[in-house]
Amino acid sequence: MSPVRRAVLGSAVLLLVVAGLLPVAGMILRSLTAGGHLGFEAYRGLLGSARQWSLAGNSLLLAALTTVAALLLGVPAGVLVGRTDLPGRRLLAALLAMPLLLPPYLNAVAWMAAGSASGPVARVLGEGAARTLSHWLFGLPGCVLVLSTAFMPLIMLLVAAALRGVPPRLEEAGLLAAPWRTVLLRISLPLAAPAILLGAALVFLLALGDVTVPPSFRYPVFAVESLSQFSAFYDLSAATAAAMPLAAITAAVLGLEALVSRWTGAGTAGRGREPGPPPTVPLGRFRLPAAVTAWSVAGLLVGAPLLILVLRAGGPASYAAALGQAGGSLVRGLLLAAVGGTLLAAEGFLLAVLGVERPRGAGAAADATALFLFAVPGAVMGVGLIVLWNHPWANLIYATPLILLLGYLARSTAVTLRICRATLELVPPGLVEAGRVAGIGWGRRLVWILAPAAWRGLAAAWLAGAVFCLRDVGMTLLVHPPGWDTLPVRIMTLAANGAPELIAALCVLLVAATVIPVGLLAGLVGRMEAGS
Amino acid sequence: MSLLALEDVRVTFGHRVALDGVSLAVEVGERLVLLGPSGCGKTTVLRLLAGLAVPDRGRVLIGGRLAAAEGRLLVEPEQRGLGMVFQDLALWPHLSVAGNLELGLRARGTPRTDRRRRVRAMLELVELGELAGARPGELSGGQQQRVALARALVLEPEALLLDEPLSSLDLELARRLRTEILRLQERLGFTLVHVTHDPEEADQMATRTLRMDRGRLAG
Repeated sequence: MSPVRRAVLGSAVLLLVVAGLLPVAGMILRSLTAGGHLGFEAYRGLLGSARQWSLAGNSLLLAALTTVAALLLGVPAGVLVGRTDLPGRRLLAALLAMPLLLPPYLNAVAWMAAGSASGPVARVLGEGAARTLSHWLFGLPGCVLVLSTAFMPLIMLLVAAALRGVPPRLEEAGLLAAPWRTVLLRISLPLAAPAILLGAALVFLLALGDVTVPPSFRYPVFAVESLSQFSAFYDLSAATAAAMPLAAITAAVLGLEALVSRWTGAGTAGRGREPGPPPTVPLGRFRLPAAVTAWSVAGLLVGAPLLILVLRAGGPASYAAALGQAGGSLVRGLLLAAVGGTLLAAEGFLLAVLGVERPRGAGAAADATALFLFAVPGAVMGVGLIVLWNHPWANLIYATPLILLLGYLARSTAVTLRICRATLELVPPGLVEAGRVAGIGWGRRLVWILAPAAWRGLAAAWLAGAVFCLRDVGMTLLVHPPGWDTLPVRIMTLAANGAPELIAALCVLLVAATVIPVGLLAGLVGRMEAGS
Repeated sequence: MSLLALEDVRVTFGHRVALDGVSLAVEVGERLVLLGPSGCGKTTVLRLLAGLAVPDRGRVLIGGRLAAAEGRLLVEPEQRGLGMVFQDLALWPHLSVAGNLELGLRARGTPRTDRRRRVRAMLELVELGELAGARPGELSGGQQQRVALARALVLEPEALLLDEPLSSLDLELARRLRTEILRLQERLGFTLVHVTHDPEEADQMATRTLRMDRGRLAG
């Protein structure tokens, strides 16, 4: 390995370790040394409390139900938008994917507005219906509804991508003996099973660690405990101990997922992929009913909440007030997202290069680490960062936005790594080999050949990275330095006692700040692709 | 009436013409070999017959019945009664050897006991009875080739389409498997359409050979 290569790729790995693994390790150490000596003191209080066990039960139930609901919605949606001739499938995919780009509690705000005394349900169906909706939403059902809508796109996108990666020849061999329905059920979906499993594991963990939706619906869960131990009581030892079970469950679920994936034949889909789009599955006489159903579900779960927020916000006065109260947070959030997206794209690209060059060794370890850190709840990562960096010698990091950038790197590198890796695998190896034969060094091959060849992936990684920075709440809420709160955090803090119109207007602004850049960039890339 | 027929077909992929004005007929029981260099359109002929592609112009007939014409697919692939062995074999990696053979029978509603019996008999025929529970990835190249052949034949097709399935094997193994295919053809009586770029293979397999070049039948 050349010195440049070792230095560049080594730095990328080191950054991931410092940003993500060290805080988790520091947290483990802190939880074991509470009271100044090695022991399990912090855990004794936690494990001996019946309330904590009840919270853990609530969390697991919420995560399991959310996963089941997300699978029921996400797998058919992935099939429909990924492979069939459903009318408007691209627009449908974009609409259904939108909740993934936004903090989940936005939907909670919208549904609560729908069920309020002056909300649209009360106006159209009467106060009784609004009370029934509100009564039903508060508690577990509301949390499952909002979180499954928020995380379902993960499963949809993974299933669609995996189905597009199934070698067409395997399906054609099936088509000689069976209709498309059987081929999808018996060949294509089983080959996409590892992707479905990964999606289910991630949804489970993200639902388990969410700290924004359960408090909105007054449903007590374990992840909020860690957050409140720190933010309400400033008890770092208790917060650390409360965070540890979530980190352990994250590692266990991802380990189990990797094990089961290997057993079910992970990686079979996608191998030997032929160039060109995979064959489209004709829906035939089911095309119209499938389109009506899919669009109705998307309208209800994604379109309706957005419409409710816009209606609730009212006229320009609300937006003016929102900008007056939180304009600075919006600008700061966008600035941090732009810088964070750039760092995440670069880190993801370098780790993806490592993954392509060393698929079984360091590359696989970096990928697994990034995935673990992605699934670790935001509040847990926040506590870890505080434990590691809240020292006078680290003020340059802890008291500045650098702490947020480190947190973003820890939490979202998995996203940009996966996008870059998928793009790099499509770059013909001959392009890089030709550069090598021509005597171009590794670093220059990276900048002159590989990065330009994978520019679409890099652009998508930057955008995804920026969006994931902008939507983060759990970690940002805990570690943002004074004067550096972002818009999602500002909305969370105002939500408790702010006017409903103001909160709705802030939510609409956040949606616009996220969706407009995504739409513009997607349109630009689409136009450039059409032009080439 | 011919078992399989193409009438003046033209197939294009974007601006590239893959087949132009190709007409051919395959009679019951014959062994037709299409011989030609890579990219001459041999595989496209097989895909038209199998129903995996449709002609932009011209007609495809299966057993005298119109199966595809002028950009329209009229008979679905699974309703044509044909078997196909792909160049890369396309074995389903998540299913066992027996599972690969059983899926088509299951899709056709064959009862479980009958299915098991036919799969066992076919695996015995290709001398793979011992490996029914193995996954394709655990087999050698020659064994995988025989599984692909058995998977196509277990459905008792009227014709078998072979898309250069022996091209990746070493010479000796390829020669042995050709002999085996001929033995099976003699025993089961199916019609054979085989494409290859290897003249020696064509000589051994064919009762009739057609040469192809740049999307047309030559001579």
